[in-house]
Amino acid sequence: MKETRLKILQYVSGIAIFIVAGFHILYSHFLKEDVTEWNSIADRAADNWWLAFYVLLLIFGLYHGLHGLRTIILEYFSISNSTVKVLDYVFIIAGLAILGYGTYIPVEAL
Amino acid sequence: MQAINSKNRNLPNNLGIKGWVWAGRYTWERYLYTLHRLTGLGLLLFITIHLGINGTRIWGASSWEDAMDILETPAFKVGEYLVVAAFIFHALNGGRLILQHMAYTLGKPKAPIYPYVDAMRQNRLLMWAVLFVIVVLAIFALVLFVI
Repeated sequence: MKETRLKILQYVSGIAIFIVAGFHILYSHFLKEDVTEWNSIADRAADNWWLAFYVLLLIFGLYHGLHGLRTIILEYFSISNSTVKVLDYVFIIAGLAILGYGTYIPVEAL
Repeated sequence: MQAINSKNRNLPNNLGIKGWVWAGRYTWERYLYTLHRLTGLGLLLFITIHLGINGTRIWGASSWEDAMDILETPAFKVGEYLVVAAFIFHALNGGRLILQHMAYTLGKPKAPIYPYVDAMRQNRLLMWAVLFVIVVLAIFALVLFVI
């Protein structure tokens, strides 16, 4: 994918995180008191809407964070295009692995 | 990276990592750039720690409750505030960067009459406004999370 498109996705994911993570922080700390209670997290894990909400947050967060890290690495290290491709695959695999683990946690804990 | 062609690849990065601590002539915007990256890296680290703690759910309710007990300690409360403060800064400064990168804040073109106003100074009012909102929200969050 072209660098420009990756950058636009960085902006879009950033705005999405602001909305979704903003709600996550507000809900966790101000709207609901027993948010860390076992029953409360089990109820949310069993609700497909909540599950979709957290998976979306994870997707946006991982893309934004890993692309940001990639940007920093490419800015400070002069590496060849082939090495950049390897780095991209490493980030994609790492991102998918973390996403898989993050999705597995609530499903397994049901 | 496609943006770096083979001719430029061996040129040294002028400031390199030192540019994160010494802004030179770039002053405020450069320090915000450094802080944007530091907060971004911090939030990425937080996501992994957060997932690690969430992972204790797999081992059942007692493991989860043990993990939650650790999070109630004062050190974690301060850490929690730092995460929220980093989020506030990164989100609002990121919004400023998007507006600037997409050229929404440049205004109409003007004749280049001395003294010239460069793009950085033209955007400085927005920078101060965003910084003001960040400080207000960070103080508000401090009261809510720590005090």
